[in-house]
Amino acid sequence: MSPTRTNEEWLADLRASGEVQEAAISDLRDLLLRATLYFFSRNLGDFGGMNRDEILQRAEDGAQEALIAVLNHLSDFRGDSKFTTWAYKFAINIALMTARRERWKDVSLDELSFSDDGAFFEWMMHDKSPGLAPDQSAMQGEVRAIIEEVIERDLTDKQRHILIMMVFNEVPMDEVVRRLGMNRNAIYKMLHDARRKLKGGLQARGFEVDETLALFSAEG
Amino acid sequence: MERNRFKNWLRNIYETQDEEISCTECFHLVSHFVELETSGENAAAKMPHLKQHLDQCRACRDEYEMLLALTRFENEGGAPSIDDLRSSIR
Repeated sequence: MSPTRTNEEWLADLRASGEVQEAAISDLRDLLLRATLYFFSRNLGDFGGMNRDEILQRAEDGAQEALIAVLNHLSDFRGDSKFTTWAYKFAINIALMTARRERWKDVSLDELSFSDDGAFFEWMMHDKSPGLAPDQSAMQGEVRAIIEEVIERDLTDKQRHILIMMVFNEVPMDEVVRRLGMNRNAIYKMLHDARRKLKGGLQARGFEVDETLALFSAEG
Repeated sequence: MERNRFKNWLRNIYETQDEEISCTECFHLVSHFVELETSGENAAAKMPHLKQHLDQCRACRDEYEMLLALTRFENEGGAPSIDDLRSSIR
């Protein structure tokens, strides 16, 4: 168990020299390894093709990478949380990327982008709710038609591509980032713009939030 | 399952704001958010932009949930040891 330090003590010890700094770095590394192992132990399904030693080695590598990231970003720490909470997020971020990469590594970009000429719309259209009154069913169909129209007409090719990967095929953000050579912010912005267009399209045709959600919530 | 996914996605569409924070901003702020939450404060009310991003972004939400769980464990003194965690991986 690592000794308890205040935030100020963590910063002072990590910025010190000699044995004090070495001890702090060693304790920090243990914390980051624990966070990484904690994440891995709850996402073992992502490591189906790896044996135990390989997974443990990935955890060691991840903790080391997180340690370097934390030390490089010490000046960003503003003291608005416990230092350990702040540090953990670097380890969790790296662990998540490692796990998702492992899970999706054998899937081709074509498979990730699979849309099969309208399968996306089939997904929505097949999703008919049972037992609805005919007028409600017709309104559901109208909502879906508007969504289809906005996706086909108003989204850019890239927005449509990313939407199909992430919403339809449920590909994780970091895998899309890696395959398309973009960063999370850029991908998020693409999806954000797509959502804005879809929201605008629905509202322009008179479908406001409560009414539309109720239309799709009235089912079991 | 598919129906729930579609419904959730529809909700995400309607909850879209003109301005939303980026994943980088979320990463900077999320530890403060977790700190507020674990201190019993209403983090979502104090940091609505962050909450909105977490509702929209699965990757950031996954990280946040893990960070919250780990911080809670630690605050309660129940965080598993490295050896226990190693043993749990097989």
